[in-house]
Amino acid sequence: MAYTMDVNFLNPFIDGALQTLKVQCNVEARPGKMFRKGTEKSDVRVDIAGVIGITSDAFKGSISIGFPAATFLGIMGRMLGEKYETITKDVEDGAGELLNIIFGAAKRVLNEKGYALQKAIPSVITGQGIEVHHITSAPTIVIPFETELGLFQIEIGIEPV
Amino acid sequence: MFDLNTRVLVVDDMSTMRKLVIKACQQIGFTNFVEAADGALGWEAINGGSVGLVISDWNMPNCTGIELLKRVRGDARFKHLPMVLVTAESEKSQIVEAVQAAVSGYVVKPFTPDALKAQLEEAHKRLTKVA
Repeated sequence: MAYTMDVNFLNPFIDGALQTLKVQCNVEARPGKMFRKGTEKSDVRVDIAGVIGITSDAFKGSISIGFPAATFLGIMGRMLGEKYETITKDVEDGAGELLNIIFGAAKRVLNEKGYALQKAIPSVITGQGIEVHHITSAPTIVIPFETELGLFQIEIGIEPV
Repeated sequence: MFDLNTRVLVVDDMSTMRKLVIKACQQIGFTNFVEAADGALGWEAINGGSVGLVISDWNMPNCTGIELLKRVRGDARFKHLPMVLVTAESEKSQIVEAVQAAVSGYVVKPFTPDALKAQLEEAHKRLTKVA
């Protein structure tokens, strides 16, 4: 039987995303209705994504954050106080850093509950309309977010070890 | 507070985060910066001289922020060099490890310039007590 992800595992990532966008980027975000990847079409066209592998004694998988280029550049502009027209080497690691901060906040909450998630260094992938594949046998959960600068989404795919 | 002409070494493997930390420091009033993309390069910069304050990430390849801190504190020349960690790592065990390694200040991301300033003021107070 397929593993069903506990909503208590997801909530710290949602809270972490809202807090990170607000404090670090001065952007208010609102989470939308989460869904299993593949069951609905996402409204988010991902041009840049940060990805972190999730490892612990009990779970393995990955988490990603994906943005359309315009949303990402708007968020980076707010965070760094500059105007960006295109995704360049100068700003692309911001996708990984935002995810790193969100992951750090969620990890603290989850590890207090005994999940024992380990530290990880994020990677960034870019391309027009890319898709991140989370290599797990369990369904990947997609959490869309809406902001004044556009949409973005977080994907989480984990399964027990 | 630190002399605002103090040379600040900002260590982070993410260029956007170095920019963000520098921007926050500029809002506080600092004007003199040097950057390093990991702890090993940070150690080189410290050895190059004239660094008066280190602001470092924790998670980095080659040499992490905590490894850099331990290296700095283990060297008599830099034993009292103020070093603040700005990191997404916020678990109690990690903060304890940093405090035991004699970190001067600890800022958890996401952070505001005010939070960084408060930790820098604390770091300066500790430095003044030692001097």
